[in-house]
Amino acid sequence: MGDSIITIVAIVLAAILMFVFPLMTMSDRTDDISQLTVQTATTEFVDNVRTTGKLTLDDYAAFEQKITATGNSYDIEMEVKVLDENPGKKTTQANSTKIGENVYYSMYTSQILDAIASTNGSKKVLALKEGDMFSTSVKNTNTTLSQQLKNFFYTVAGNDTYTIAAQHGGYVTANGSGD
Amino acid sequence: MQIEYDTKLDNSTYDAIKAFQLNTVNSSTSDLTNSKMRDIEAAANSFFTSIATAFNMTGYNSDNLKEYVPALVFTLYDGFYIYSPFENTLDEDTQNKLAPNATYTNGEEITGLKPYIYYSCRYVKGQMDVTITYSLDNYITIQGYDQNGKGINDAGYLLDDVTYNSANGNVTYRGINITSEPQLTEYIGNKQYAYIKINGVKYYRDDDGSWFTILNGRKNPGQGPFRTGNNDMGYRYYKEAYEFKQRLQSYGITNLTSADAVDVADVTDKDGNVIYSFLNGNYKIFDFDGIEEPDSNFNDHRLAVIRYVIERNLSIALANYNNYGIGSYEFRMPKLAEEDWGKLLNNVSLISFLQGLSIGGRIYNGYSVINNNKNEEVVTENAIYIVENINDDNSTYHRVTHENLAVNANSRGVFNMDFERKSIGSTTSEETYYYYPHKQLGCYTCYVAQTAAVGISNIYEYLDDHRDLAKVYYTALGRERYSMYKVFRNPEEHVNQFKQ
Repeated sequence: MGDSIITIVAIVLAAILMFVFPLMTMSDRTDDISQLTVQTATTEFVDNVRTTGKLTLDDYAAFEQKITATGNSYDIEMEVKVLDENPGKKTTQANSTKIGENVYYSMYTSQILDAIASTNGSKKVLALKEGDMFSTSVKNTNTTLSQQLKNFFYTVAGNDTYTIAAQHGGYVTANGSGD
Repeated sequence: MQIEYDTKLDNSTYDAIKAFQLNTVNSSTSDLTNSKMRDIEAAANSFFTSIATAFNMTGYNSDNLKEYVPALVFTLYDGFYIYSPFENTLDEDTQNKLAPNATYTNGEEITGLKPYIYYSCRYVKGQMDVTITYSLDNYITIQGYDQNGKGINDAGYLLDDVTYNSANGNVTYRGINITSEPQLTEYIGNKQYAYIKINGVKYYRDDDGSWFTILNGRKNPGQGPFRTGNNDMGYRYYKEAYEFKQRLQSYGITNLTSADAVDVADVTDKDGNVIYSFLNGNYKIFDFDGIEEPDSNFNDHRLAVIRYVIERNLSIALANYNNYGIGSYEFRMPKLAEEDWGKLLNNVSLISFLQGLSIGGRIYNGYSVINNNKNEEVVTENAIYIVENINDDNSTYHRVTHENLAVNANSRGVFNMDFERKSIGSTTSEETYYYYPHKQLGCYTCYVAQTAAVGISNIYEYLDDHRDLAKVYYTALGRERYSMYKVFRNPEEHVNQFKQ
């Protein structure tokens, strides 16, 4: 009797050791690769916007497609900080294009998507100018296999935590044209 | 994590430099002290905005991050600014005038630019007691007492091998006759204007003969009138360097050795090896033997002084930061790598420090050095490009080191900033126009791909074998250096020399 219990325990342990742990390691590596892909794609996307000064729906769609190709779903948050004049400055040398001295107002994801959404087949471009800031952050919204396994065995990861995340941002260095 | 944070810091530092460049390229007053301070404060703000964006994800904002940035160092032409927190001290008079709930109070901790620190060193030898301020090129300022105890207050460029014939006014430099060059012109918008650059400000001549400058992207009329015709700025540079050398000899400055320097210590590298020893390197600093060449005694000494001054002041600033700092982490000055010093000592740069962030089991401690090679602060030897034919907008411009570069009477050396895009506001509407002061394009093989550029360590020796090129290059280098803003000059008197 005692022997058969030990045998069952041994079989369960062996199953965990032989199947589950390699599976966890594998899924962890998959997430690492996804992380790398997402980070690279985000950097590329943001730098492209920063150096050309414009954002189009095509760029955004290409970026979205590239990251979802990793097999996960993502929440993409974009922010444009638009350099604005500072009406409070009253020196003779006040210059509306000076970076770092004037105020910014922000546009967030939904506003940006509205601005680039095509209407009646015509494509729209969000043109940025020198001194604006553009940043994007990406987080996975689904539970990846590695998260599921970890949740099952360790019950550490909550539902809203993410394992794949990338962020990049900086100054726009060119004036984008609207067409 | 360390690498990720390093990249973020590099990006933000680069953004700050970019902001500084964009701000200064359109402002002809950016070399004046108060305006420069505004530009630098703006760059510092950009740094914090950028770094806040970069660290957005991890829940830090700009104000949080300020606590982790002990200092930003802006190295400029003849000194540097440190941007760090300090205790605001107000005198009693000011304190009494303030309203009880005023924003500024005595003893308040604020973050801002500390006073400008010059790259200077004091020398004592017999009766001589002088302080010499160095710069990123061969310009020095001397204040103190000469060998006879007489007061000196002088400044100038150090050049070897300049001759001046007082009878006919001929100036030669390294055996090359330096003459004045034809009237300079450049575009504003689509129109070409004759101009003269004096003390860092360009004065343009309008069609009706009136002169204007560009201030904050708008025409600012009512200047001048200035003399037109040939531009002799290059000629003046060499002639004044010749006179300066004579004066230095009469002061006895040329006898100074590095051992006469006081309040200095040896310069060491990261591992504690001595790089430059003031005491043991007992040679004449101003021996005028190829003084402007990269490996001269003067240049070794100059770089050592600059490095010592930055290192010392910076470590004090970082150590003081602990008085304001947060929690248990003690800020320490990281030792900068040799290649970073190389960057710092050759051009205007920004050094940023980021310390004390927890990165999983360790504390982050990093710095970043980014060069600013587009600035109105200094004319480096690499900043002069040679345009094949200045009268032809479709011509190309080359690096001086372009293999077998042929020059002719229409070739002209141009400062790299003059190829940068600028903007001007319309006088009638809110629109802004962008233009290039010079429309020539960069040569593909030397400017872009650099396949045809000769690798050299000493441009002066290279040019000794290319004398036609040397004449164009030296004239342009002299002209641009002479036209730069100099604190030492009396601006009004200096400008008057060129008026009609």
